[in-house]
Amino acid sequence: MTEQSPSSLPVFRVAPSVAPTTNTHLEIAEVTKNFGSQSVLKGVDLSVAKGGTTAIVGPSGSGKTTLLRLIAGFEHPDTGSISLSGQPVAGNGVWIPAHKRHVGYVAQDGALFPHLTVGQNIAFGLNAGKLDGGRRAVNARVQELLEMVSLDAAMVKRRPHQLSGGQQQRVALARALAREPELMLLDEPFSALDAGLRVATRRAVAKVLNEAGVTTILVTHDQAEALSFADQVAIMRGGKLAQIGNPFVVYTRPADRATAELLGDAVILDAWMEGSLATCSLGGVPVRRPPAQGKVQLMLRPEQIRIAPDGPIRGVVVDTDYFGPETTVRIKLAETNASQHAASGNGHRYPGGGEVITIRHWNASITKPGTELCLRVVGEGVAFPQEREHGQE
Amino acid sequence: MKLRKNALVGIAVAATAVFGLAACGSNSNTGSAASGSAAAGGGITVYNAQHESLTKEWIDAFTAETGIKVTVRQGSDTEMSNQIIQEGEASPADVFLTENSPAMTQVENAGLFADVDKATVEQVPAEFRPSTGKWTGIAARSTVLVYDKNKISEDKLPKSMLDLANPEWKGKWAASPTGADFQAIVSALLELKGEAATDAWLAGMKENFKAYKGNSTAMKAVNAGEVDAALIYHYYYYGDQADTGENSNNVTPYYFKNQDPGAFLSVSGGGVLKSSKNAADAQAFLKFITGKQGQEILKNGTSFEYPVGSQVEANKALVPIKDLEAPTVDPAKLNSTQVTDLMTKAGLL
Amino acid sequence: MSTVSLLAVLIALFSLVPLGYVAYMTVATGWDTAVELIFRPRVGELLLNTVLLTVITVPLCLVLGAGGAWLVERTTLRGHRWWAVALAAPLAIPAFVNSYSWVSAIPSLAGIWSGVLIATLSYFPLVYIPAAAALGRLDPAIEQSAASLGLGPWAVFFRVVLPQLRIALTGGALLVSLHLLAEYGAFAMIRFDTFTTAIMVQFQSTFNGTAGNMLASVLVFLCLILLLAEVKSRGTARYARIGSGAPAKATRLPLRHYQLPAQLSLAAVTVLAFGVPVWFVLKWLIAGGVEVWAADEFMPALLQTLLYGAVGAAVTTVVAFPMAYLAVRRPSWFSKLLELSNYVTSSLPGIVVGLAFVTVSIRAVPGIYQTAGVLIAAYVLLFLPRALVNLRSGLAQAPKELDEAAQSLGKAPLTSFVRVTLRLTAPAAAGGAALVFLAIVNELTATLLLSPNGTRTLATEFWSKSSEIDYTGAAPYALLMIVLSAPMTYLLFQQSKKVAGQ
Repeated sequence: MTEQSPSSLPVFRVAPSVAPTTNTHLEIAEVTKNFGSQSVLKGVDLSVAKGGTTAIVGPSGSGKTTLLRLIAGFEHPDTGSISLSGQPVAGNGVWIPAHKRHVGYVAQDGALFPHLTVGQNIAFGLNAGKLDGGRRAVNARVQELLEMVSLDAAMVKRRPHQLSGGQQQRVALARALAREPELMLLDEPFSALDAGLRVATRRAVAKVLNEAGVTTILVTHDQAEALSFADQVAIMRGGKLAQIGNPFVVYTRPADRATAELLGDAVILDAWMEGSLATCSLGGVPVRRPPAQGKVQLMLRPEQIRIAPDGPIRGVVVDTDYFGPETTVRIKLAETNASQHAASGNGHRYPGGGEVITIRHWNASITKPGTELCLRVVGEGVAFPQEREHGQE
Repeated sequence: MKLRKNALVGIAVAATAVFGLAACGSNSNTGSAASGSAAAGGGITVYNAQHESLTKEWIDAFTAETGIKVTVRQGSDTEMSNQIIQEGEASPADVFLTENSPAMTQVENAGLFADVDKATVEQVPAEFRPSTGKWTGIAARSTVLVYDKNKISEDKLPKSMLDLANPEWKGKWAASPTGADFQAIVSALLELKGEAATDAWLAGMKENFKAYKGNSTAMKAVNAGEVDAALIYHYYYYGDQADTGENSNNVTPYYFKNQDPGAFLSVSGGGVLKSSKNAADAQAFLKFITGKQGQEILKNGTSFEYPVGSQVEANKALVPIKDLEAPTVDPAKLNSTQVTDLMTKAGLL
Repeated sequence: MSTVSLLAVLIALFSLVPLGYVAYMTVATGWDTAVELIFRPRVGELLLNTVLLTVITVPLCLVLGAGGAWLVERTTLRGHRWWAVALAAPLAIPAFVNSYSWVSAIPSLAGIWSGVLIATLSYFPLVYIPAAAALGRLDPAIEQSAASLGLGPWAVFFRVVLPQLRIALTGGALLVSLHLLAEYGAFAMIRFDTFTTAIMVQFQSTFNGTAGNMLASVLVFLCLILLLAEVKSRGTARYARIGSGAPAKATRLPLRHYQLPAQLSLAAVTVLAFGVPVWFVLKWLIAGGVEVWAADEFMPALLQTLLYGAVGAAVTTVVAFPMAYLAVRRPSWFSKLLELSNYVTSSLPGIVVGLAFVTVSIRAVPGIYQTAGVLIAAYVLLFLPRALVNLRSGLAQAPKELDEAAQSLGKAPLTSFVRVTLRLTAPAAAGGAALVFLAIVNELTATLLLSPNGTRTLATEFWSKSSEIDYTGAAPYALLMIVLSAPMTYLLFQQSKKVAGQ
């Protein structure tokens, strides 16, 4: 597995299954980019294997779109280099302009040409003269692509403004796929879609790209999208990549607190780490790779905290939010008895309980406010060093 | 930069258009339709401050006779004289025609005229041209006061033009001070009575008069009853009478006579520029218009100005020149620059 | 600096020539003479006339323009589609033709009130058109929120609707004032003296004399003040819709018993502003018979006008392109400064630009004096903003994302620029070119000063004929100017509906 850095700052971890091999399609090395006085990318390294799907997820303003535009060739990197299939395309005095990179790009709002029909949009990148069969071949290919993105063949004559948002995105995808690029860049392609449509479109697009064997890089701020779509997730924050790994790893073993909170709900508690056991208000939780001893912050995912009648931890329901399939429950944990730990003389180390945590449960009836519950923790936790800036206890 | 090519193409297109037009602008089409078939030589350019219709009649006849093409630039006396002076050596003008003398004197004093051909000079009597021989008279017009009989009785008519500055004439008379015609009348006043008297008269005028743009408009106003009288030139009246008369049927012309400044006979001038590249053709043109044929156009045509050359008589409808009792004024002494300054100072310009 | 920026800078410098000329002449004249020529009673008269004219006409135009726009766009006015066009139509009639018709109707027309009458009737569409466009794009949600907060219809109009019209109204007011300052023919015909008529008079008497130049500098000063006033009054408020979703159609206020008065007043305005001029032009035309059409100046004048109009429009659009590109794709203080320099020059009256070019060409570059190129250059300077405004809105509809998409699809940068950006900007560019064409056809003063010998345009021919009170002879030219202006006016009307409230 990966090496663990003894320092408390996050270092990006690369899962071996997508580690650089001779199969690298895209290589980004120490790329920085400034716009005027504003530093947007502060040193990014990333490798993407052929055929793989990578999601770059991060909050707005973290630089994800800039990185994508650098790969596409719309901007020059200030330092660092970018290579496609081993050939340098940017940096170190090399510059291959966008139209020569053979990279597909789908912009955030589709960027369909308003003055052309759907068919003409899709065929824009095709050169009728170069294809065997000329115009007819182009039309056939357009039909093929429309089918690929599950759009009706009759759409060919429509204009972009006559399509819905989801349809426009799919046309944009078809247009980019027309040239059979080996690398596809998607810039938040599903963000403008309604929630219900989003999942369906995402699945359809993932299927298309997978079947075509196209290396894909998706930029999104939606963690669910990133985790479900890709086989490699890169978390971007403040112009740098905080962590790279497969979805399961980044979700269950985030590199730091901010990453943890970005990828989903997290329950963060103060804890005392001894060996590989972290003691917190939820009791002792095993931690696989403790970054430090003593005071740490323990992260658990809400689904790891179960309501069990025989659970060792007690708590009282403060309030609940019913939202259909599940209920969000806020529980105030029981105060721990100081005498419990007094004997070992370490009373001051262990947290005293009383924190309010948020979990989810399917059964609304047992979680009425005021109910006393018993809780149990399942699985391992992740520990982060205490954040020094806050000067907490 | 991706834009470089496009921008350069754009500039090339624009530049070509500009220079193309520049090229065809300099040898532009003639103003006269009677260009005839075979045009001899390069043709001449006339800076014309005379009435367009009169010059057109001259040009048509001249081109029909000689085949020489004429291009006209239309303007007003002092506008064009100043322009010619500004242009200097580079002026494209071959011939300069005016309605009044001060503009000619101005150009002459700038040393821009060539000597007029002896043959031409001999066609015009001495009182209608300057002694220097740098230009010649081509027509003449008399100052006149047109008035409404019903508003002003004969005994109330002013004895002298100077009377118009008196308080009893407040709001009763009109003129067109922005035109070169009126400025020529003022220049004659300046020459005859001196600067002080002119200043005083102009001040009185500012109090009394109503401004109109153009002598015809002023006459029309008298005709319509808007104002009692107007100080203009004679041919506007006779011209309109010969036409429909709708702008002059209610007015009567009154001549001051007695060598009064108001009887001033203004001489229209014509000269050849030193910078002319077609001097021979230019001189020919001047000779033509002061010759019998050209002067007869004044007699028989629609302009109703007085002929000055080749002993051609005036149109029958007009008062003969000798009966006008015009004051003697040396055209070479008329100073247009000083007049514009005085009028600007008086707030008329 | 990129090529585009360099081009834009050159154009901006070029457009500052008239301003530089005025400054130079003022300085070169010497302080004493300048003071003597500027601070004299005559100038006081002219100033009074000009200021009075502006101060009375502009509010009248605002009332007519905004009121008409409101009636047409936001009430249940019958036949509002026709009224919309009718209220814009007077723009097709040049002010000096308007004056010519009114003088035919009432020969004794003179003085300030006649000036106000003709100016108001000629220029209120300049307020009406942007106001109507702005009203048509107003978001009813804002008014509905105001209503839900307890404001009645009148209060809604004054406190919610009118403030949103601010940009349109201040822009319109500025346009009207600049036109008033620059107008020559209309006021000369009714013997109303303003700075421009006085400058023309000085020009005719002294050609390039000092007194004329000094008057020009005062005029330029007035124009700059107006520009500043407009910028200040525009404020910093934003008027575009905030929030997602498309704005709904605005509801129309029912007029009920105000319907008839509204119809009558609009009819009165249309008759005065459009009916009277057209009637008299036709009357003179019929009175003149067939002969006036056969005049041999007619065809050359028409052809030359068309030629100058077409070439001028094309050159202006091309020249405007670098500045528009910078303003839309790379906005910065730099692009704003360039635009400002051009905006300032275009606010100068044609006569000042003409004088400047005459002097510069005679003294500095005699080779170009009296060539068609100089006249076209003057047109470019005068009408660049019209092309610029349209090009900007057209370019804004072709964002660089589309260009990039085309490049990512394998098209070289130049190809994608032509096939996407240029293609999308073309309609707006054509609209701008049409506007410039309209302006050139009606331009009088700069043409009088700069045109090469023997050039005749419809405007100059009309002017020389009507100056000799040859009204019948002038009529065909007037008619043709109206006929040529009409389609362009319609285009302007249509374009304004698409341009967002800027």
